[in-house]
Amino acid sequence: MVTNVLLTGVGGQGIITASTILSQACRLAGWEVKKSEVHGMSQRGGSVNSYVRFSPDQPIASPLIPEGEADVMVAFEPLEALRQIAEVTPEGALLVEERRIVPVTVNLPGFSYPDDVLDRLQATGRDVQVIRASETAVALGEPRAANSVMLGALSILLELPDEAWGEAMGLVLKPKAVEVNMHAFEAGRELVGAQSGAG
Amino acid sequence: MAENARKLSNVLLSGNEAIARGAWEAGARLGSGYPGTPSSEILPALVELGDVYCEWSVNEKVALEVAAGASVAGARCLVTMKHVGVNVAADPLFTMSYTGVEGGIVIISADDPSMHSSQNEQDNRNYARAAKVPMLEPADSQEARDQTMRAFELSEEFDTPVFVRPVTRICHSDGLVEVGERQVVELRGEMAKQPEKFVMVPAHARKRRVTMSERTQRLIELAEESDLNREEMGDESVGIIASGVAYQYAKEAFPGASFLKLGMVWPLPPERIRQFASKVGRLFVVEELDPFLTEQILAMGVHVEPVDESFRIGELTPGRVREMIGGAAMPQAAPDADLPPRPPTLCAGCPHRSVFVGLRKLKAYVTGDIGCYTLGTLPPLQALHTCLCMGAGINEAHGIQKVRGHEAPVVAVIGDSTFTHSGITGLVNIAYNAGVSTVVILDNRTTAMTGGQVHPGIGETLSGLPGRELDFEKLALAIGIEDVRVVDPYEMAETEQAIREAMANPQPSVVIARRACVLDVRERGPAPVLDEEKCIHCGLCVRIGCPALFDAAGEGEKTLPRIDAVLCNGCTMCVQVCPVDALVVPAAGEGDA
Ligand SMILES: Cc1ncc(C[n+]2csc(CCOP(=O)(O)OP(=O)(O)O)c2C)c(N)n1
Ligand code: SF4
Repeated sequence: MVTNVLLTGVGGQGIITASTILSQACRLAGWEVKKSEVHGMSQRGGSVNSYVRFSPDQPIASPLIPEGEADVMVAFEPLEALRQIAEVTPEGALLVEERRIVPVTVNLPGFSYPDDVLDRLQATGRDVQVIRASETAVALGEPRAANSVMLGALSILLELPDEAWGEAMGLVLKPKAVEVNMHAFEAGRELVGAQSGAG
Repeated sequence: MAENARKLSNVLLSGNEAIARGAWEAGARLGSGYPGTPSSEILPALVELGDVYCEWSVNEKVALEVAAGASVAGARCLVTMKHVGVNVAADPLFTMSYTGVEGGIVIISADDPSMHSSQNEQDNRNYARAAKVPMLEPADSQEARDQTMRAFELSEEFDTPVFVRPVTRICHSDGLVEVGERQVVELRGEMAKQPEKFVMVPAHARKRRVTMSERTQRLIELAEESDLNREEMGDESVGIIASGVAYQYAKEAFPGASFLKLGMVWPLPPERIRQFASKVGRLFVVEELDPFLTEQILAMGVHVEPVDESFRIGELTPGRVREMIGGAAMPQAAPDADLPPRPPTLCAGCPHRSVFVGLRKLKAYVTGDIGCYTLGTLPPLQALHTCLCMGAGINEAHGIQKVRGHEAPVVAVIGDSTFTHSGITGLVNIAYNAGVSTVVILDNRTTAMTGGQVHPGIGETLSGLPGRELDFEKLALAIGIEDVRVVDPYEMAETEQAIREAMANPQPSVVIARRACVLDVRERGPAPVLDEEKCIHCGLCVRIGCPALFDAAGEGEKTLPRIDAVLCNGCTMCVQVCPVDALVVPAAGEGDA
């Protein structure tokens, strides 16, 4: 079976780092993995999508997730979650960072940031979990670790061994960033655990 | 890191890293190129591997010619560029196909279907045929490494440069790669003088031209047998000929079909194609962009199912291939038309912004160029009015003023890296031909658009060694431009005034707006705060288009500026444009508590 994870958000949020950690964790687990994204122009505060596809037992052809076949979407910004929602299967799960980043285009006539984004996501019938990633990372003293909070939350939904995650973070992150990101990762796990507990 | 890599035979590499790895393993001794998405990460990865002299050349033509020299000296050379870079390098390319090589030359042409970061969508497979240079096309990271190594062998065996053409979805996709050690490859030959081979005067070139045809024949024979191309027979009612990433999309969409997967896209193996065609029912060619394979296969007298013209534009995807072959309509998501788009924008604190605010005020017709600053064309700035190719803006300004005169309020803007790439010749042209134009060099001390590479204006080289720094002021003076000014774009009034004066001068002028890209600056000032009492809701601050400053007012209401303190870089441009001092920079220490 192939699992498809779509990571979406805004350029500069550490999405590519997060998807690299996920891909390395898959490799360390001995799985087949492919990851794809676009660098360059899109990183100047534009929408960014990263696709990670992996399987414990099957080769993977396309580096892009086929249309509408993402099993999990990790959205680093609510509006971007809504923009990509059609890429997620009807049974798919969403992890959505709470913090909004308002695009400059709201300053133009005819556009505004909708205030019912979460309702609209929930109305699609998919499983939506809101993650206070930035808030959690700020509380840990490192706002840039929000992406690790999201990964921690994601780890609850996937069946990757814990050691693979830890080792992958050690591989990808700068040595001095590892510790705080590990804390952020753990905090992310707890956030999801707490929500699941509350039903 | 090394320990983990040893523990597992596979490493996870992007296509770009895999190309660097392949060149390194193949014993390359020189890597040259000019940055350009999606190729920019190849040379830095090669520097990281070590043992190979690498440079960011001033432009792609220079890069290829440096490699031509190193090849004559017997070294294996890797040359990297984006698709449009090959246009710049086309002059040496076409004749290097005649001279051939001594040490192998592999040219990476990184194409960008869908124009994720490009001004056009040209299909560089056409260059292979036009220049008669063989071309390989990798379908994943493993092939990117393997084919790069193979390309060096082919280059020396067939005495020709060899193209490897990855596309964005190969360059920027990661996959598992089995790697090996670096081969010891000695410099080839003794640099014997071979004028018949390397001096392309007509008498020599005519002979080489015949050699090239023989070479193509031998390459076709290779294509007929080589494992670069392979058949994968499955359900024989549908046969698919594909290469590169298109093969992966087709395999995803029709895993059971029969495939002829081409690793070499020029020249093609006619016999193999005819044989494959005879074994399958309906034959499709799945390729991104031009009908490059399709037309050649049709010319072999093989029937290929027609494909709708719409599939010739943009990237393919598994869904598009399904639609193309099976006619299955893609699941059409109800588009959320009311969502505000999120295009790329100049960063908060980007020094380019103030130049565009000034140019907008001066109502200039701005001939632009390519780089982050091209984003100055977007609303609300809308202060850049042409963008053609690197280096064009300066010449366009000159052209406009030759027919409309000095009265036409024209200003050329060009980034520092672009200026060194292909702007200098334009400035020489203006000075020489009695031009009058004003050129603003947006000197943010980096090649920001493509990820922040160094260039001659910085002095430091790709490998981090000190190089000689190109002095733009002295250069402009030496060219014959007498009106040369340097401004700090964070001083908005001064910047606008300098451009105003330069435009008024009937002599050609250069304004250098110098301040480092915010991505390269660690310390940042505090975010301004809004004094709600003073704000007259005029919207001037919002109209500088800063992503950290947005209008929180509802539709039809008066502007209500809000600052996102996380995104703000403290550049104070909004403070400077506010007519009533309603935006205030907190005094040092104030907000830190
Ligand atoms: C022939 C060619 N080579 C490379 C590129 C890719 N490219 C686009 S803009 C640019 C340079 C941008 O640097 P600079 O002019 O300093 O502007 P900045 O992005 O720093 O504002 C490059 C390398 C291209 N478009 N065309
Ligand atoms: S990366 Fe640098 S040059 Fe590009 S928009 Fe941001 S601040 Fe400006």
